Amino acid sequence: MNDPGKNEQIEDRAKTLFDDSVERLDAATLSRLNQGRHKAMDELRHAENTVSWGRWLPAAGVAAVAVVTIMVMRGPVDVTDGPVTASDFEMLIEADSLEMFEDLEFYSLLDEVDPETNGNVG
Amino acid sequence: MSTCTGVFAVSCIREQRTGAKALQRERQLNQFLTEVERRALRIAEIAVRDRDEALDLVQDAMIKLARNYAERPEGEWAPLFYRILQNGVRDWHRRQKVKNRVMVWFGRGASGEDDYDVTANAPDLAGRSPDVELQTHEAMQRLEVSVHELPGRQREAFMLRTFEGLDVAGTAVAMGCSEGSVKTHYSRAVHRLREKLGDHWQ
Repeated sequence: MNDPGKNEQIEDRAKTLFDDSVERLDAATLSRLNQGRHKAMDELRHAENTVSWGRWLPAAGVAAVAVVTIMVMRGPVDVTDGPVTASDFEMLIEADSLEMFEDLEFYSLLDEVDPETNGNVG
Repeated sequence: MSTCTGVFAVSCIREQRTGAKALQRERQLNQFLTEVERRALRIAEIAVRDRDEALDLVQDAMIKLARNYAERPEGEWAPLFYRILQNGVRDWHRRQKVKNRVMVWFGRGASGEDDYDVTANAPDLAGRSPDVELQTHEAMQRLEVSVHELPGRQREAFMLRTFEGLDVAGTAVAMGCSEGSVKTHYSRAVHRLREKLGDHWQ
């Protein structure tokens, strides 16, 4: 049963049949293989780009640490003179302000009346 | 100032060299995958008996090779690629086993293996006479079934050595075992195939 000649015969015949079936794959299958290969190549490019950006990570880390150090050394920034403060918001949400919104029609009427006529009425 | 310009210039040259190398590597990998993809598909197809599943397995193997091993020497790609593919095939068989158990539990019985339509998945005619075509087709069908029915490791060894043409060392890397094991699996596989195919191949 361990005849090397017969083993070779089996191997050769199997190889020939296999190669034949590979050569005759249909176009749709070949197209899908092509698409798969393109996806793999996209993956390779993506991996290379990631590595390329990764090279700058240590430098970016050092720069970030430097910026934070400078900010800490300069001390806290004074925000009391800023354009909008917490007290401005408090004024907006006070109850008096809501009353003003209720009388909005009256104020707009006053605005439309001629100032001279307004004086006579007063 | 001139030092800065010099450093920048050296950096640019290095970038260009790296880019050229990456491009060359990309071309080499593309060429390797083009050469190997058809045989890999047929090998996977014989193992799982389903072309769509085989296409998915080959695509996954190509992506994993590109993602993880593109930087390895070109000579290592074939064994690594087939190792990834064989792992994929083994995982597929494990999933199928679990799936079949669940199907049996719900009373549907095992499916998949016998649904494979060999005729529908047969290759196109290649300008041969119908008799020759039929003989070739039947012989390939018998071979596929016989190889598929081999125990997993024997099947792997036979397909990698005979169909893909890997040497013993490459097959050992692809199968994740020793060269001695490859020889044993391969020898048993050929022995079994001779028993199964017998007269058809004399």
